[in-house]
Amino acid sequence: MQSNRQLIKDGAMAENLWSYVEDDAALSDAASIISLQRLEDDADTLRSRNAPLGVILRAGEKQGEDVRRLAPFLDMIQLVAIEFPVYRNGRGFSSARILREELKFDGEVRAMGEVLFDQWQPMARCGINAFEVDASISLDQFNQALGEFSQAYQPASDGRRGILWQRHGK
Amino acid sequence: MYRYDEFDHQLVAERVEQFRGQVARRVAGEITEDAFKPLRLMNGVYLQLHAYMLRVAIPYGTLSSKQMRMLAHLARKYDRGYGHFTTRQNIQYNWPALDRIPDLLQELASVEMHAIQTSGNCIRNVTSDQYAGAIADEVEDPRIISEIIRQWSTFHPEFSYLPRKFKIAVTGHKNDRAAIKLHDIGIVIVKNAAGEIGYEVHVGGGQGRTPFIAKKMSDFVPAAQLLAYLEAVMRVYNMLGRRDNSYKARIKILVHETGEEEMRRLVDAEFAKIEASQMLTVPQEEIDRIAAYFAPPVLQELPATSASLDSARASDSAFDHWVTTNVVSHVKSGYGIVNISLKPIGGIPGDASDAQMDVIADLAEAYAQDEVRVTHEQNLVLPHVKLDDLKTVYDTLLAHGLATPNLGMISDTIACPGLDYCNLANARSIPLAQEISNRFADLDRQYDIGELKIKISGCINACGHHHVGHIGILGVDKKGTEFYQISLGGSADENASLGDITGRAFTEDDIVDAIENLVASYVDLRHNGERFIDTYRRVGMQPFKERLYAE
Repeated sequence: MQSNRQLIKDGAMAENLWSYVEDDAALSDAASIISLQRLEDDADTLRSRNAPLGVILRAGEKQGEDVRRLAPFLDMIQLVAIEFPVYRNGRGFSSARILREELKFDGEVRAMGEVLFDQWQPMARCGINAFEVDASISLDQFNQALGEFSQAYQPASDGRRGILWQRHGK
Repeated sequence: MYRYDEFDHQLVAERVEQFRGQVARRVAGEITEDAFKPLRLMNGVYLQLHAYMLRVAIPYGTLSSKQMRMLAHLARKYDRGYGHFTTRQNIQYNWPALDRIPDLLQELASVEMHAIQTSGNCIRNVTSDQYAGAIADEVEDPRIISEIIRQWSTFHPEFSYLPRKFKIAVTGHKNDRAAIKLHDIGIVIVKNAAGEIGYEVHVGGGQGRTPFIAKKMSDFVPAAQLLAYLEAVMRVYNMLGRRDNSYKARIKILVHETGEEEMRRLVDAEFAKIEASQMLTVPQEEIDRIAAYFAPPVLQELPATSASLDSARASDSAFDHWVTTNVVSHVKSGYGIVNISLKPIGGIPGDASDAQMDVIADLAEAYAQDEVRVTHEQNLVLPHVKLDDLKTVYDTLLAHGLATPNLGMISDTIACPGLDYCNLANARSIPLAQEISNRFADLDRQYDIGELKIKISGCINACGHHHVGHIGILGVDKKGTEFYQISLGGSADENASLGDITGRAFTEDDIVDAIENLVASYVDLRHNGERFIDTYRRVGMQPFKERLYAE
């Protein structure tokens, strides 16, 4: 995590216990976030490793890495970090929902990169529960952003049913 | 018409407060214009050549008289006394001060309107048939599913930062007045052999610099599954759409590069997963609740003809022409659908003054079941008018410069704002539309020419729909000089087609003569009763081109 960032997880300030590890660096016993490629290449070795493992989904130039490539490895990982390279790139919103709703991943899903104030609430709705945000952001500001809209029309990954259903007690 | 319940009200109110906070932070200098840009764009605020512009959503182009009066009030209070109705069935204000926009939005919210998702790379305002609920042979009123789509797509958490903007259009009629094949998703309401309502879904149409006609992705999506299907299309697009080049980021490029068949496979696979969760199956009670708002108005039982109308037509030939061109048959006998042309000869296409909007609101309330519609061709509609009342309505419209009898004629052009307002434009569009209108001002001549749709865009982004004009005109910039390129044979209806470019472009001085030349060719070539587009389709480009470029 960048030094000017802090972690907000599950609605509270949290200590970041994870570090991003480059592909050519050796893995220590600390909680480590590695690339998807490394996970695929070294899955057999990694399976016998006895320390928390996370993966970062990179945004890439054209389309970004496909979250469904994680499917065979979900039992090995405790964290998925989704890169948002610029605020405009909202591909990660879909990746997060697929992780939660289709792949049933229940570990930490973390947003990193350029993430703006008004994006935290939709990210949370898509199943992201940890946010690397600018160190100047207070928890109050964060919670204010998460409460900007009290209702939602449509279901997503946060268990809300959506107004179209709520109106009829569904 | 749909009415907000407490949920709808609350969300719009929260949006106004959110935007008020964003503007306050911007005005105080706490955030830069760069950081403010994505926020204002999600709320319809553009920075144009001279000032901020605000685009207000008119969902599926339907307004009540109260809403229309509010639009007039906003034009008076926050703008320079006019508004501009757009090809997206919305209205734009060209001169609001940024720090007053939150107040404007708050007033708008009081009549159940907003500017949500009228810009930005999200699902935009849903557009539809302006004759919805008034025209004969409709499968279902398209506003019912349009309203459901509006709600589902509003603040959609997954699809608010798409590769590019996303437009959905719906028609419930075999005659497509919503240009559905030129939208990212176009929906045709259909009935299957069992008599069940469903949706034929077209994906990947669009104009801009790379125009495409949409491909039919599904023949029949059952009503309860439509949101799941739409979510599947959106997810495939959000996952695979290009983000490396904004000119190649629309779904039409994804469909084109992926191929229709593979795209269908991807959508079907995603649809199967989403549908299996049953999460998006809309409850029948909710469909019924929304449908009830669009129940046909209670109209009188009247004879199919009106003696007072017939005698007025016989004694007033201008009125007679207006009825012929601007009034369309209503599903209910004794009623008509009135089109109000916003294309007065020499005027600015789509503009209406505050006074005109007030007059139209009054007419809607008194004579049209309190409804007004906006058309994608930048005109307005009073959907349910008694034939007996047509003369009264006409007289009032006439007194306010709103009775131009030119619907579908050569002077009924679509034009983008062009270089007069827009910082993307290469050339002016509005003055050209005005010149063409003035050149062909003579109504007898317009009627002789018949249906001829001219559409003018000031740049390759094609906001003026030039690709689908029977005659399309595109402004291009060559070494700092404005030129106009012509295309022929485009159409936005159920037989959608893209126009073919004639050849080298024309200067500002020559372009109106060139249009005159094309019209003369058509008049010489046409068979009896043949429209311009039919003649073009029969004879092709060559005869037009030969005469157009003859020395």
